[in-house]
Amino acid sequence: MSSGLVTMTGTARRAPVGDPRSRTRARVGRGIPMAGRSVATVVILVVFLVPYIWILSSSFKTQTQIFANVSPLSVWTFLPQSLNLSNYKTAIFTDHVARALLNSVIIACAQVACTIILATPAAYALTRLRFRGQGLIFTVILLTFMVPGEAIIVPLFQIVSRMGLADSLSGVFLPWVASPFALFLLRQAFLEVPTEFDEAAKLDGAGHLRIMLSIIVPTVRPALVALMLVTFLFSWNAFLWPLIIIQSTSNEVVQVAIAINTAPGELPNWGSVFAGAVLATLPVMLLFACLQRYFVRGVTLTGLK
Amino acid sequence: MSVVDESPLAAAGRALNRPIRRTWTARGGVHRGDARYGLLFLLPFCAALIVFQYVAIGLMIRNSLFSYSFLGGTTKFVGVGNYTTLVHDPLAIQSIEVTVLFALGSVLLQVPLGLALAILLNRPGLSTTALRAIIFSPVVSSVVVVTTMWTFIYAPSGGLANSILAVFGIAPLKFITSSNEALASVIVMTLWEEVGFSMVLFLAGLQAIPRDYEEVAALDGAGALQRFWYVVLPLLRRTTLLVVVTTTVFSFQAFAQAEIMTNGGPNGSTNFMVFNIYEEAFTLGDPGYASALSVVLLLIVLVVSLTQMRAIRSRV
Repeated sequence: MSSGLVTMTGTARRAPVGDPRSRTRARVGRGIPMAGRSVATVVILVVFLVPYIWILSSSFKTQTQIFANVSPLSVWTFLPQSLNLSNYKTAIFTDHVARALLNSVIIACAQVACTIILATPAAYALTRLRFRGQGLIFTVILLTFMVPGEAIIVPLFQIVSRMGLADSLSGVFLPWVASPFALFLLRQAFLEVPTEFDEAAKLDGAGHLRIMLSIIVPTVRPALVALMLVTFLFSWNAFLWPLIIIQSTSNEVVQVAIAINTAPGELPNWGSVFAGAVLATLPVMLLFACLQRYFVRGVTLTGLK
Repeated sequence: MSVVDESPLAAAGRALNRPIRRTWTARGGVHRGDARYGLLFLLPFCAALIVFQYVAIGLMIRNSLFSYSFLGGTTKFVGVGNYTTLVHDPLAIQSIEVTVLFALGSVLLQVPLGLALAILLNRPGLSTTALRAIIFSPVVSSVVVVTTMWTFIYAPSGGLANSILAVFGIAPLKFITSSNEALASVIVMTLWEEVGFSMVLFLAGLQAIPRDYEEVAALDGAGALQRFWYVVLPLLRRTTLLVVVTTTVFSFQAFAQAEIMTNGGPNGSTNFMVFNIYEEAFTLGDPGYASALSVVLLLIVLVVSLTQMRAIRSRV
């Protein structure tokens, strides 16, 4: 970051060293002193990484090893003594986590695809076309933004069951494919695309479908990627609805498959539960690590109602 | 044929060497055919939305006036019977109290902490980017995974939390096995999971503030704390209210924590509204009553969201 100032004529001028402005900028920039910053960094690292490290290392231990290592606290609490894969074997074969992972992948991909297929033309219609009732339709759609899914699970269960989709993978994602969030995000993105491109294409005889697919969609690619990631995340992490709509274990999603359902007093085999949790969160963590930028953008856009 | 007699369309066609079709009219302009396309493009989305949102809400309101079971049997019209039961039902009242307390606690903790983290990490650099990602990871993990992890961390014996406390000489706590500590434990866990989200929102808000504002204040002699209080904070009002709204809405949606970690207890101290609705509909088999509870939840969320959003709009 340069320490120059932009003047009225628009040129950047580097302020001379003795200038109070440069000293001020330095003073404003330093903010919190180094020592406090280091302490805060360590605290953050410990608080946010320790639970994951504990779970990860414990997933490679047997029940007795976990208990033996946890108290008193030692370095072995967080490191496995040997890479014991029996927990993972239990999770994959006995608890059907592998099958559940596959189901989750299918459902998430289908939900992302359907959401985009539905929302893109809708956003196009609301931004690129002009007809009576546009504003009203948009308001009607936006109103549903405020309805939390959790509040309508009971009637949704009845509706989806009557469609014959209970206990099916489609029943898991279908209620959520008309996403007001997706529409809002794409509408914002479309509004940023200048209409000159449309005009040029129309002069060449392109119809609306062509304009939408060949011009608008490629231009809003970052927003589309952000939308895909956030939708994938919501679909992958969904718990309440899949819990309700799926009954047979072969159709379970991974979140439900790994969820334990016992009173805090009587806990099951710790290691295999940990292994399941690791398997359930690993794909999304990897996705996040690679595409962090887009996740954050998607999240920020969630807030801009 | 003189130049004046030829229509502009024909002239243009001659010049460009291809026929110009008239796709517009004098009235309506370029957008004349739009209604047809608009309908076509909007239909799939709106159809799905109507079925899965509006029909669902209507069905829910209708169902709340009946007493019936998912397994068949008789359907009995009870009018406002479900609602009068609700008002006197200790579980329903408790679930509202618990959820409101949870929302309050979450907001009071997440807003300052999210802001502090955002201020701390509002600078470029690899280390801050890495730290931000680490803080954001629990947001990416599902509630199920986080709740599962923390169920074992909070285990009174053999749990990580008590063993860490032991290092500092603190006696073991009961966490989720005690009706006094359970809700607080869930609030802390949810804070751990969601503060990254609030941090990201605050970061966006902070980065929208031009640096010149703070510099002008510094030139006038304001110290760091004064600059923060009188310059930064007022400019963050919109973002702060946004964080409050999102945290509140998330709090009212809480379910997995109760289902997986505490089963609503001990003694209903973590009996969230959504958990109560789930139990009534699918465990106790009274979907009519559950629908009434859902209507109440929906109303509360709408009122709270609208009030908070109106507060945003009026202040900026």
